[in-house]
Amino acid sequence: MRRAYVRALLASALLVGCGTTDDRPATFEVISLEILAPTCGAVQCHSTTTYLEGLAFDTLDACRESLRGGEAREILEVIDEQEMPPDSPMFENDIALLKQWFAAGRPGL
Amino acid sequence: MRNLLAMSFACALIVLCTADRAHAYPQYQLSHDVTCTGCHLSPAGGGLLNENGLAVAENESWKGGKPEFLNGKVELPGWLQLGGDLRGAAGAVSNGAMGGAGYPMQAEVYVAAGAKGFTFNATGGLRRPNEEGSAIHVLWSREHYLMWQQKPGANEGLYVRAGRFMPVFGLRLAEHIAYTQRFGGYPLYGEAYGAAIEYVSQRFEAHATGFVHDAIASAVEHGDGGAFYGEVRLGDHAAIGAQGKYAADDDQHRTYAGLTAKAYVPSADLLLQAEGDFVKNKLVGSDYSYNQLLGYLLATRPLAQGWLLDVGVGHYTQNTDVKGNYRDCIDVNVHWFTTSHIELLATTRLELVSSGPNGGYALAQLHYRL
Repeated sequence: MRRAYVRALLASALLVGCGTTDDRPATFEVISLEILAPTCGAVQCHSTTTYLEGLAFDTLDACRESLRGGEAREILEVIDEQEMPPDSPMFENDIALLKQWFAAGRPGL
Repeated sequence: MRNLLAMSFACALIVLCTADRAHAYPQYQLSHDVTCTGCHLSPAGGGLLNENGLAVAENESWKGGKPEFLNGKVELPGWLQLGGDLRGAAGAVSNGAMGGAGYPMQAEVYVAAGAKGFTFNATGGLRRPNEEGSAIHVLWSREHYLMWQQKPGANEGLYVRAGRFMPVFGLRLAEHIAYTQRFGGYPLYGEAYGAAIEYVSQRFEAHATGFVHDAIASAVEHGDGGAFYGEVRLGDHAAIGAQGKYAADDDQHRTYAGLTAKAYVPSADLLLQAEGDFVKNKLVGSDYSYNQLLGYLLATRPLAQGWLLDVGVGHYTQNTDVKGNYRDCIDVNVHWFTTSHIELLATTRLELVSSGPNGGYALAQLHYRL
């Protein structure tokens, strides 16, 4: 079993290694569903189930509502300064894509 | 990744070098009871315990005590079973900077009522208030379903369920923070309305569920679809399984496929459980899709009467096409079952993030089973 796990880890390392540099499009859908939903939209946090701080990121509609408000810049700031998420840091390339989307004027909202 | 490998071996050594004793908890499926129904009323495990499950709770805890509902102080008729769970945790969390945290996790009661193979099962309780919502978002019923069991009183045979429950998928660990659960096909509060047909035996089990999302009380599962889990036992102490799930919602279509493996090593009194999943996400109205990889390995062994040690290693690749987009974790949990009803849990995680600071937590959890 241990040997099998080592193989699985190595296979996973190879797969990770096969990834390219980040050429994801900085669209509202990618920002919302791929980055914010799994990282910030967990059920006990900013989800449509809980609406912690009045924010939810687990659906496109909820993301749109949460990112339209005047506090959208504050959301970017707390993420950029790694204040949020509190226990599971966000990837740097995700933060870079988020900033790119903000810099482009938040298209798709 | 190399660090993770070294840490995995170090953790495995810790588990192997600790003392010995017998079974308890869901982690001990193959050492004690072969199926979830060995201890639980539900064919998927979790919730109310059956007679054998109550005996296990008593025998494997440190001080024992009457394991029945409210310590047996309330006499219940044969057609009715009641139970419940209270859980809370507090401690420290870190995303690179340390902070304090407290979590009121669970306050739920369970009921199962019925006869002649038909049972109505329900949970009722509290969840974290919805800051934008109404009472329905504080008081809720996570599960409520009607179940027919081919062999009433037995722990095998055919089961049919209809109502609100969790579609069966992968390892159903109590620890909802395992990557395979948090980011995979069995997330916390992932219950949906549906119907399932399930068969459980000593040699194999199969669960097939069709579901639709809960449009009334907001839910984690926003999609409609189906899930399958099958598991075959290899001899007395090993099992392999396969699972699949598809869910389509307004935003994306998610397809999950994965494998599980379980092995109990009697000489070391050690149970190993592993799950690996591949997830494909296709965005609606766009050509864009991305793939994810999830893995979790959990090693468990008893330390002494009432004590249990878990060491877990997890992996999550958020997008396989993007370099530096993965996280790994090492989890160490120490359970202390002080009585038939009380569990104290020290749970810790070190999370290694491919790009960004490392994170983690160290929490003490109190669990009281009614």
